[in-house]
Amino acid sequence: MRGEPGSVRSAGGSAISRRSLLRGAVAAGVGIGAASLTGCSVPVLNGLTASREEPGTVQFWNLFGGGDGVRMQQMLDGYRRSHPAVTLVATTLTWGNPYYTKLSLATVGDKPPDVAVAHLTRMRNLVAGGLLQELRPDDLDRFGLTRDKFNPQTWDAGLVDGKVYAIPIDTHPFVMFYNTEICQKAGLMDGDKIRPITSEAAFADAMRKAKAVTGGYGGVVAVINENATPWRIFQSLYAQLGGKMLADEGREVVVDDAKASQVLNLLQGLTKDGTFPRTADYQGSIATFANGQAGFLFQGEWEITTFQTAKMPFSMAPFPNVYGGSNYACQADSHTLVLPRRPGADPAQLDRSLGFIRSMLDQSKTWAEGGHVPSWLPFRDSDEYKQMTPQSYYAAAADAAVYDPDGWYSGSGSGFEIVTGAAIGSVLSGQSTPATALRQIRTKLGNLAATATPI
Amino acid sequence: MASATLAPARAGAAGVTPAQLDWRTSLFNRICVGVLIACALLWLVPLAWAADTALKPNAETTKSTWLISNPTFSAFTNALRDTDMLKWYGASFITSALAAAFTVVTASLAAYALSRMRFRFKNWVFWFILAGIMIPGQVLIVPQFREFGSVHLLNTFYAVFLPQVPTAVAVFVFKQFFDGLPKDLDEAARIDGASSLRIYRQVIMPLSRPAVAAVTIFIFVTSWNNLLWPLLVLTNPDLMTIPVGLATVQGAFGIRYADTMATAILGALPLIAVFLLFQRNIVEGIAGTGLKG
Amino acid sequence: MSTEAIPRARTDAPRRVAAGTRRVSDESRPALGFLAPFVLLYLLFVIGPALYGLLMSFFHTSLVKPGLNGFAGLSNYSEALRSADFWSSLWHTLWFTILTTPPLVVLALGFALLADRVGFGRWFFRFAFFAPYILPSAVVALIWIWLYTPGLGLLDTALGKVGLTAPNWLGSENFAMISLAITTVWWTLGFNFVLYLAGLQDIPRELYEAAAIDGATPWQQIRTITVPLLGRTTTLVAVLQVIASLKVFDQMYLITLGGPNFKTRSILQLVYDEGFTNFRTGYAAAISMLFFVVVLAVSAGWFMLVRRQEREV
Repeated sequence: MRGEPGSVRSAGGSAISRRSLLRGAVAAGVGIGAASLTGCSVPVLNGLTASREEPGTVQFWNLFGGGDGVRMQQMLDGYRRSHPAVTLVATTLTWGNPYYTKLSLATVGDKPPDVAVAHLTRMRNLVAGGLLQELRPDDLDRFGLTRDKFNPQTWDAGLVDGKVYAIPIDTHPFVMFYNTEICQKAGLMDGDKIRPITSEAAFADAMRKAKAVTGGYGGVVAVINENATPWRIFQSLYAQLGGKMLADEGREVVVDDAKASQVLNLLQGLTKDGTFPRTADYQGSIATFANGQAGFLFQGEWEITTFQTAKMPFSMAPFPNVYGGSNYACQADSHTLVLPRRPGADPAQLDRSLGFIRSMLDQSKTWAEGGHVPSWLPFRDSDEYKQMTPQSYYAAAADAAVYDPDGWYSGSGSGFEIVTGAAIGSVLSGQSTPATALRQIRTKLGNLAATATPI
Repeated sequence: MASATLAPARAGAAGVTPAQLDWRTSLFNRICVGVLIACALLWLVPLAWAADTALKPNAETTKSTWLISNPTFSAFTNALRDTDMLKWYGASFITSALAAAFTVVTASLAAYALSRMRFRFKNWVFWFILAGIMIPGQVLIVPQFREFGSVHLLNTFYAVFLPQVPTAVAVFVFKQFFDGLPKDLDEAARIDGASSLRIYRQVIMPLSRPAVAAVTIFIFVTSWNNLLWPLLVLTNPDLMTIPVGLATVQGAFGIRYADTMATAILGALPLIAVFLLFQRNIVEGIAGTGLKG
Repeated sequence: MSTEAIPRARTDAPRRVAAGTRRVSDESRPALGFLAPFVLLYLLFVIGPALYGLLMSFFHTSLVKPGLNGFAGLSNYSEALRSADFWSSLWHTLWFTILTTPPLVVLALGFALLADRVGFGRWFFRFAFFAPYILPSAVVALIWIWLYTPGLGLLDTALGKVGLTAPNWLGSENFAMISLAITTVWWTLGFNFVLYLAGLQDIPRELYEAAAIDGATPWQQIRTITVPLLGRTTTLVAVLQVIASLKVFDQMYLITLGGPNFKTRSILQLVYDEGFTNFRTGYAAAISMLFFVVVLAVSAGWFMLVRRQEREV
């Protein structure tokens, strides 16, 4: 009658049940919406208002999972206790390229965190991309963050054109874990520490002796589903031979085939004859060492907490000086804290961020308990640190640290590491030969080197 | 009819009796049922295993059995505590609802013009919009990112749902549906003096519930599960949608497998609930638009 | 009102036609209003970016630098076409498509046939096969990473119990893509299953009855009646599948990050890596354009296939 012919009614028969479904949907939606809103009130609506977060906060991004993550949580709680007026919001993101991509995207999108962790080897590229704030001396002085309080090598390595963009908190070298009981039985100990290994033959010999004791493996290193570790063990040995990978800020590939082959042959020999397992991934290598199926583990020092929790008899030493002689070298990187660039200067925010950084450094003890070698001299030079074992056993390795080469595509977790780590890993797991791997490395790095830097 | 009378003769001619045929058919049917049930159960294993793992304490997850010695919800409480899951729920719901609402409104309006109105450039517009189906959204992520960056709208919900609204498929679903509605409804309303807008609002749309439901659900689910674009645009952890949040903290749990599975289950819950409520609509929507498209 | 309307309609019928033709002349103004919201968003978020992307591809645009940066001419395109990474990513995407499309079409059809024949428990089967489809990719990734975990994952232990050694699901350069394909089949089969079920229900039952009376076995019925009549649905399913496989990103990014050694990196993931990790947005735009050409070619192929099918029918 009102222009609604009867066909509406007939089509609307099912409309009634649909209406009740829609009602249900609305109810559910309101329920979800209410739950989420009560759980987090205002922040979600920032998505519509495009406004900044509440004042008086520090947003902190890091990439620490596992054992590191636990330590970092302790330090963050310490900060919260000492600064009750500030709201600290910490987010842990996936390690590697995804972390740096997200950090870059957030900075480009004008909503970066206040403070972020950055590897020293990646920090330069962030600076070159204009993504970090410069830290001015007078601001740093107010919080006591002066050069004399830091490991000078790490501090200077972080300077770009003489300006400070990053505050180092540690150096984390690639080290050797060893099972003290197994090594004792294998006759490799010298008192309560392991006898230093100083030659290729001694290295292979020690591994085989350990294998004889365990009946499983002599040592273990992560080789599959993993790029960082194969790169690191290779780089430690290769750098001891004096080899270099890149030159001219990454524009030139200078891989020394002879030295590289020597290292790859040594490592492949160990997996080939079963002294090292061929199929260990990261977690698997941890488990194999923790269960006593291998006498040695080659990994970064950050896994110390895992083995302390497992209550197994272990100790740590610098990565063996197989080739170095008097020029010891081992692969390492450093963690630094940086302030991403953001629109508009906010002195109060700057102070909060720097105060946060200072608090992290003051808690260097907790961080060192997680295995890292602190850059903060007031703690590193203290008796307290010197008495921490096994951390103090390998502290000297930090001074012999060899960082990943310069290049816009280089750094921890970068394309450089993926290319080299994948090739080296495939040699160790027996899937390719040293010659093939070196060819692949040369070609792929060559491509990257030939590409003009985008920053 | 003729075949019915011929049947016995035919069957006999083939050398197969009706009884044998029946036996073969029923055996075949029984095999079918068995295979189907087996496959369906196999398909359910991953989800079931995830739920099973999530109900174990973390330490127990390394033992590969379905039996749970100490069932507990601790993994779920850990997941809620260590992630911003509730915030992600909110973000997903808001962006998906807005995407669906805007799409339904804009697409139905455009479809009404294409279906019911006559104007000079109608064909041009039609082909113009059709061209859009050819352009996959993924091709546009790089320029769209720059676009939103330049107007400082990154890290907002607008950046998430607005690019998802102009979906050509939605226009065509509505147009196809409108084309099927009898034109005398329009005429009758026009005689009563209604404007086009009024006809659209009071005649066409109330009849279009099936199309509205299909488009709403399709856009809602697609938007909810969208990963690549929100991943680029939402770097503020407060605003992340569920897929982005899950992807960002992936691996942060290390070997706490129960907690990881609990996070996954929590991330899946809202849409599973939607599915259970609207199963028929979803299925009909897919079947209808799929076959026509 | 109604009593007045009816006679008016009847007497006005011839005049109504005349009035209608007069009104047909032009509704451009209101039409514009109806079209505006959609077309505006369409220009802003589809056509505009498409043109801008095309423009960007001719420049050395960088993520961290404003503006278009330096003019590159065709060098982005020539670099892409000469780059081993580009071709291998394209190949990986193709390989993924080859691995997933046949199972997703054949298995879906098979299950639909079975479900259609069985007749009961429709709700259960629909849930079992379709539930994975509505899960976000991140959830699927978490679940399958756990299933594929070396040593501890369900697949490794299940195969171990039967006495088989499991392949290195995600760590083997050759097998990783197969693992991703298995995950994808589990995840998306439900969609095709539903499409086929609907298509099956459109086939009139009398055809089957007639065939049964003529002495056809169930298998013969399927072969001679069902499969040919589902031709149109199968084409649709296959083409949708191929196009969706070309656009694959989520599984690679979440489960293997394109590894091991970039062996599972799809073309879209290459766009992401080059544009957002390496900051080279101009180059990434060029790769996107090349990818667009590939998708166009496939869609055009489908168009012609459908045209030919309709002509045959």
